[in-house]
Amino acid sequence: MNPTLALHARLPTRRIEVTTKSIIMGAVTSRDWAPLHHDVVWAKSEGNLPNIIMNNYTQAGLINAYVTDWSGPAARIGRLRFSMRSPICPGDALDLSGVIETIDPEPELIWVSLAIELTVGDRLATRSTVRVALPVSEQSPSLWQRRADAWQP
Amino acid sequence: MADLPELVKSWIGKAVVVVERTVTVEKESWLNFCAAIQDGNPLYWDESFAQSHTDHTIAPFAMLPSWGSTHPWYPGKQGDGVRAMELHFMLKEALAYPNGIVTSVEMTYHEPVRAGDSVRVEQILRNVSEERATRLGPGRDWTIEVVYRRQDQVLLGLESMSFLGYRRS
Repeated sequence: MNPTLALHARLPTRRIEVTTKSIIMGAVTSRDWAPLHHDVVWAKSEGNLPNIIMNNYTQAGLINAYVTDWSGPAARIGRLRFSMRSPICPGDALDLSGVIETIDPEPELIWVSLAIELTVGDRLATRSTVRVALPVSEQSPSLWQRRADAWQP
Repeated sequence: MADLPELVKSWIGKAVVVVERTVTVEKESWLNFCAAIQDGNPLYWDESFAQSHTDHTIAPFAMLPSWGSTHPWYPGKQGDGVRAMELHFMLKEALAYPNGIVTSVEMTYHEPVRAGDSVRVEQILRNVSEERATRLGPGRDWTIEVVYRRQDQVLLGLESMSFLGYRRS
């Protein structure tokens, strides 16, 4: 079942306690072997960074999961854009928050644009926009069965 | 871009790196990633749920670039192998920047990846800035576009990534 859609409505905030383990797990399982995601000595001495940092694949995964936890799995994400403004490190209490920016109904789906922020306290870590398609109703054909030429994200 | 080495100039606008079938996608690999980010989406986990939507369970879209990265070790491996964004590492080396970070990403998702698939990756260099002062040290920005296709050429996704390469001040 679709969530209630209203312009400027806010998604529930999600808090993630970031740890050394979660950053390394995210990097290794996304097959990213760069040392700034697992080697704190390298990150500080060579990377000029405060600690190891969360890689972009993990951030993409967290944002996508935040959206589909809200929308339900029948929704289909078409486009994800994000820019990283400051690093996410072990010990950070990371909050994901989002707001509905646009709602564009089409005959068999509804495109929704979400503005999402990843913040640590008052500090903006990452700003994101996600374009996600939701079925019009539970009886609508699955969005995942669309042919390539009918999927224009 | 007048100050760029000729080698880097010759890369602009071209698919400099093409990666064919580095790994075969398999479910337990993507479930490890789902565990790391605590994503319980049943399309990734639950075969019976996925059947009515995607025929079979699918891999998280965020992992699309991961399938173009070689194992960190394999028999006979020389050098670094093919890293997840190999062209980015080639640029760092060609421009003598020991460090590089991703600053922004845009992904467009098309057909999902399923177990047994392999992914063909084309990395195209779009632009490189002149050197500038950054808070991490002197560096340059560059943009790489990536086209992901399944082994049968079906489009899986498009990506545009912006990077900062830098050296410590």
